[in-house]
Amino acid sequence: MNLKHDPSHVFELVNVTKVFGADGHKTQAVQEVCLGASPGELVLLLGPSGSGKTTLLTLIAGLMKPTSGSVIIFGKNVEEYSSGELQQIRAKRIGFVFQTFLLIDSLTVSENVALVLRFAGESPADARRRARRLLRQFGIEHLAQKFPDTLSQGEKQRAAVARALANEPALVIADEPTASLESKQGFDVIQTLLAYAKQKRRCVVVASHDLRIVQFADRVLRLEDGRLVHSEANVSDRPRPLVNDPMVAGETPGKPRVTTRQESCRSSTPQCPLASIR
Amino acid sequence: MDLYAVRILRSQPLRLALTISGVALCIVLMLFLFATYNGVAKGSVEYIQKNPADLWVLQRNAWNILRGSSLLSAEHGEIIETVSGVESASPILLLLSAVEKDSEVATVFLTGFEPKTGVGGPPQLVDGVSVGNDDEIVLDRAFAAKFNFKIGDQVRIQDHTLKVVGFSTGTNAFVIQYAFVTLRQAQSLVGFPGLVTCYLVRIHKGTQPRSVAAAIRDRLGGVEVYEHEQFLQNNIREMQTGLLPFLYTVAAIGAIVLTAILSLLLSINILERRKDFAILKTLGAPSGFLPRLVMEQAFLIVAAAGILALIVFFPLTSLIEKLAPEITAQSSAGQIAAVLAAAAAISVLSSFISMQRLRRIYPLEAFS
Repeated sequence: MNLKHDPSHVFELVNVTKVFGADGHKTQAVQEVCLGASPGELVLLLGPSGSGKTTLLTLIAGLMKPTSGSVIIFGKNVEEYSSGELQQIRAKRIGFVFQTFLLIDSLTVSENVALVLRFAGESPADARRRARRLLRQFGIEHLAQKFPDTLSQGEKQRAAVARALANEPALVIADEPTASLESKQGFDVIQTLLAYAKQKRRCVVVASHDLRIVQFADRVLRLEDGRLVHSEANVSDRPRPLVNDPMVAGETPGKPRVTTRQESCRSSTPQCPLASIR
Repeated sequence: MDLYAVRILRSQPLRLALTISGVALCIVLMLFLFATYNGVAKGSVEYIQKNPADLWVLQRNAWNILRGSSLLSAEHGEIIETVSGVESASPILLLLSAVEKDSEVATVFLTGFEPKTGVGGPPQLVDGVSVGNDDEIVLDRAFAAKFNFKIGDQVRIQDHTLKVVGFSTGTNAFVIQYAFVTLRQAQSLVGFPGLVTCYLVRIHKGTQPRSVAAAIRDRLGGVEVYEHEQFLQNNIREMQTGLLPFLYTVAAIGAIVLTAILSLLLSINILERRKDFAILKTLGAPSGFLPRLVMEQAFLIVAAAGILALIVFFPLTSLIEKLAPEITAQSSAGQIAAVLAAAAAISVLSSFISMQRLRRIYPLEAFS
């Protein structure tokens, strides 16, 4: 495969297929997916349960390797990273938001946030200080000493988002971040992620089956049975939601960057629906 | 030390308490074994150690008195005393004998010695007086306590009735205790007047024990002559031969139980937090983070158990010594430190055993 990366892409998936199981019981979770995303972009992976959204997210995060095809993260094929390098990338350059928040129950909110800062190399004292500052910034300083099981769903997700964004990662991966939340809380979470993408010019990939999120995304990718069946740039003249989230301090947001599907893949493989430009 | 390790342990207080208690019990067991060994080691050879003899003369091939037999005659003593450099040769007769009091029967290591020299008699008296006449006996203090003997009590050995006149220390060899009677009484109990076990030889000042020993061997033939230190070491080795395998076996069982308890708890903690650990791996926990977390838990448990063990050990030892007076436990700071170091090493081993489970936790599990 003659593959040329787009250096502006945070990640690229080129003809990626992921098969689970052994002979006779094989399941193709992801089939020949081509996808790339740039800084400042919020990409929405939309699809029903079992469509391969989560598998795709884990491939993008380098948590597993594809059966075939290439996953390029931060300009380098995931196969070329050592496990230590991938761990460092996850610690410093990727933030994760999970459907059920997945805060560590034995640790306070502040300690949960401080932990990822420590994983990224900060000293315990610095991590504690920065965690406090972050929680203040996210408006949940009052939750700092609380344990996750004492929080409401909305509070948990805000803490989880604070944890995910603590290291200002270049790539945020959010798996069904609104699924366990009421509308208002879900709106707040997506608003925060969008603001982060725009103000910090970071890439956010959200997997969801929540259609309410569509309006926030720069690009909507529909997955069915592991295949990308539709890719749509959000260029409508619908009013964009406010993205100047006070929780995400930084530069003033500009007009959301709109990507077209042709921008996303530089592969010359004919099966790749996004491969036509090269 | 990470707070997380403390939090994980504290989340199941009952389990933590049981584990710490179990580990503490294993540490106490090991401490007690070593302390008992010290006590036995000291008690077994204290009689020899405190004996003023420069040389010990025994029958050929006999090399200790704990588990060996030696038979010599009165004539041997007379000849020994003629050897140049010998100041005195005091005979003793050692025999295992049943002592009866009321309906109770117990066995003692009956030692017949000559009261007029005192050599071979009780090394130290804690109560009463030493044996002066044939119808008197001195008992070991632990033996007396165990069977509730008092000064003035009557005991029967075979068809002889003896009066308890004193209690001695340094005469408790754990499995058996010394008792002291006159040589004549001991010989009469055996039924062979003139029979002795060995001679305790004092030499003149300035004389070389080695040369006197060689001279005795030349003169007598068919005897073994040991210098004091060598004979002491012979008996220590004999005592260790009998005791150390038992001690090591029980200590090894204690160590295995300790390892099993710790490994089990750590493994359960890992299994219960499988999802948490998968999340931590997803979030980029460094490769050493989770193993360190497991190890910290092990260290915390062992540290807490070590403190508990030390708190419990000394009162427990006193209690056991009261309940079983023949048991003498003597701890040294070095041995306590060694046991605690062994427990720390076991915590590391247990951590490594449990860590195998960490490898089978995958970051992907966070998404399931």
